[in-house]
Amino acid sequence: MKAGIDALLQNAAVWRAREPRVASTEGCCESGWPRLDAVLPGGGWPLGTLTELLLPTHGIGELQLLLPALRALGGRRSPSGWLAFIGPPHVPYPPALAQAGIAPERQLVVEVPVVTDRLWAAEQALRSGGCAAVLVWVDAADGRWLRRLKLAAQGDAVLAVALRSMQCRDAPSPAALRVLLEPQATRLGLRVLKSRGRGPVHIPDVFGG
Amino acid sequence: MRALRPARTTDRRTADLFAALPTSSPSPPPSRGLAPRLLWLALRFNRLPLVAVVEAPTEPWVVIEGAPTREYLVAVNDTARAAGLVPGLALSAARARVPALRPVARDSAREWRALGALATRAFALTPLVSLEPPCELLLEIRGSLSLFGGSAALVAEAERLLGGSSQPVEWAVAPTARAALYLVRGRPGTCLESSAGLAAALADLPLGIAGWPESALALCERLGVASLGELRRLPREGVARRLSPSLLQRLDEAYGLCPEPRRRYVPAERFEERIDLPAEIGDAPRLVPALQILLDQLERFLVQRDAAIGGLTLRFLMRARPAHVLRLGRMQPTACAEAWRSSAEQRLERLVLEAPVLALTLRSAPLVPAAAVTLDLDARSPAATEAAARSLVDRLRARCGEAAVYGMCLVPHHRPETAYRRVLPSSEHGGVPSADLLPTIRRPLWLLSAPETLRLVDGAPWYGGPLQLLEGPERIEHGWWSQVPVVRDYYVARDARGVRMWIYRERAEPKGAWFLHGVFG
Repeated sequence: MKAGIDALLQNAAVWRAREPRVASTEGCCESGWPRLDAVLPGGGWPLGTLTELLLPTHGIGELQLLLPALRALGGRRSPSGWLAFIGPPHVPYPPALAQAGIAPERQLVVEVPVVTDRLWAAEQALRSGGCAAVLVWVDAADGRWLRRLKLAAQGDAVLAVALRSMQCRDAPSPAALRVLLEPQATRLGLRVLKSRGRGPVHIPDVFGG
Repeated sequence: MRALRPARTTDRRTADLFAALPTSSPSPPPSRGLAPRLLWLALRFNRLPLVAVVEAPTEPWVVIEGAPTREYLVAVNDTARAAGLVPGLALSAARARVPALRPVARDSAREWRALGALATRAFALTPLVSLEPPCELLLEIRGSLSLFGGSAALVAEAERLLGGSSQPVEWAVAPTARAALYLVRGRPGTCLESSAGLAAALADLPLGIAGWPESALALCERLGVASLGELRRLPREGVARRLSPSLLQRLDEAYGLCPEPRRRYVPAERFEERIDLPAEIGDAPRLVPALQILLDQLERFLVQRDAAIGGLTLRFLMRARPAHVLRLGRMQPTACAEAWRSSAEQRLERLVLEAPVLALTLRSAPLVPAAAVTLDLDARSPAATEAAARSLVDRLRARCGEAAVYGMCLVPHHRPETAYRRVLPSSEHGGVPSADLLPTIRRPLWLLSAPETLRLVDGAPWYGGPLQLLEGPERIEHGWWSQVPVVRDYYVARDARGVRMWIYRERAEPKGAWFLHGVFG
């Protein structure tokens, strides 16, 4: 009898109520860049947890890096949830998104100057269950807030990305995945600083410019 | 109405007089079975003129009407009645009796509104309410009898709901609307549920209660006709001829011989209410209690109509200053006062008032039918996602302001900065537009809110370093017919840090200048 139960509990489809809900069950979304997918655990951007992108400056290709995933997420849900842009540095230009295959009606832009308001809005967006992806631009955010975002993202197949300045590289972060963007002259290089179950990886060129 | 020469021949019987006239009047209506299933409750609010103007007075208040120096009392309160004042008394006579009299002019507009408010409350009893200005309501109650358990219980409920110590209500029940009206004026408290005793009940009511023109009443008096029953015994042709066919028709309506269409009361399509603050308030968060009163009224108003609203406008009235206007909106229409209060509270917390507030008004957006709330077991079902997305926008807009949260849509326009528009976030997805509607050349993912002028170094654009032109030019030319034509050559450029930019050279004024317009991101 006991052996039978043990065998049953080995089955991955059985979820025990006392175990926390495992974030990895929310799955991944292919980034659309094969060299990046190859090094990411699960083969893509993790959903239901927090991803952190560290940028030396805005406009170096961070949005282009995310575009294939945003497009894929849009097709996955029906009706597709919103793509929330919270505190973007400029207007996410709808004709360009449409060219990339993303319906402009799915954009939800929240323009708030105060960082804590941005974080609050991101938390609300993640908790609501109405968003497919939440991108939040926060330069100065302490780890406590980022942890709240991570918790808010749990339990839903939502892509949560915090875009921060490269200066936050050495600050502790609860994000499940931390990626540093390194623009080269004609291409974008990435440095995966932290990912679940893997050490740091460097990809010299994810895509050419 | 044709005037009748005064009949001096009192020796002739009035019936003969009427019979002698030529018969050119309507024949009696065919007594076809009126839909007998109607039952009308008439309610009369004698003191409405007073209640509409002053509330809970202790002094002898009276409402007056009439030309100057010839005013007479229309309504009196308990204190005035105890002093022996009755409606109809001349003001001068009343003043002689009660020197401390507090007269106030009649305000028909407020009376009308007060009657409308009573009618709205009466919707709790029946869906068919009709106004009989200035101070009566007619309720069709046949359909509600079994719900309330008979007419007596329903009338008691009506008195509880609409009446009160300051507002006594008189009532009568009859199978026709007009009979109910006549009875509530002539013999309040009558309850006639079937048309069997109708003629008998109406017979001895005085003609004065019918509200007919003075000339018609004077004529009847001269003829020695004092009650409805006596008038009805006269030949129809004569009555129609000497009085008026329309009065004859009203009589028929009262007796149920012909149908009387009544105009149904349709309540206001919006809620609009004002509250005067007991003291001036200069601190926005302290307005919340007053706002709560308005929102509670709003909720009752909406619940009675089974409706919800998607927005409302608050006005803070100040002394010698335009009112401060605060607009609240929700994507998910709601009637819930609590939801509106939390939206308003978040805005009031940040609001700095220029001057103390004297009064507060609330006006609702047009009403929409209230949607039944269904909770979905599957949190990822389309309906649940949709509802979640809507309520998210409501929360974000409440805290960040309505302008800060927006969606986007494409506009078929050549000028890059007008090729999109900010819109209210909408859950109606148009999908990706087909490729032929989009620009053929790649557009930047970021667009600057205003083009940024670029420095020129050695005649080449410079942005923290020399810019290397990668692609272009793409000529965008638009609006040559307008005051500010757009003639620009766009290039894709890259700066020293690897940022790819969308820059253009102006070919109109200022000619040859370079601007940064977007970043490819």
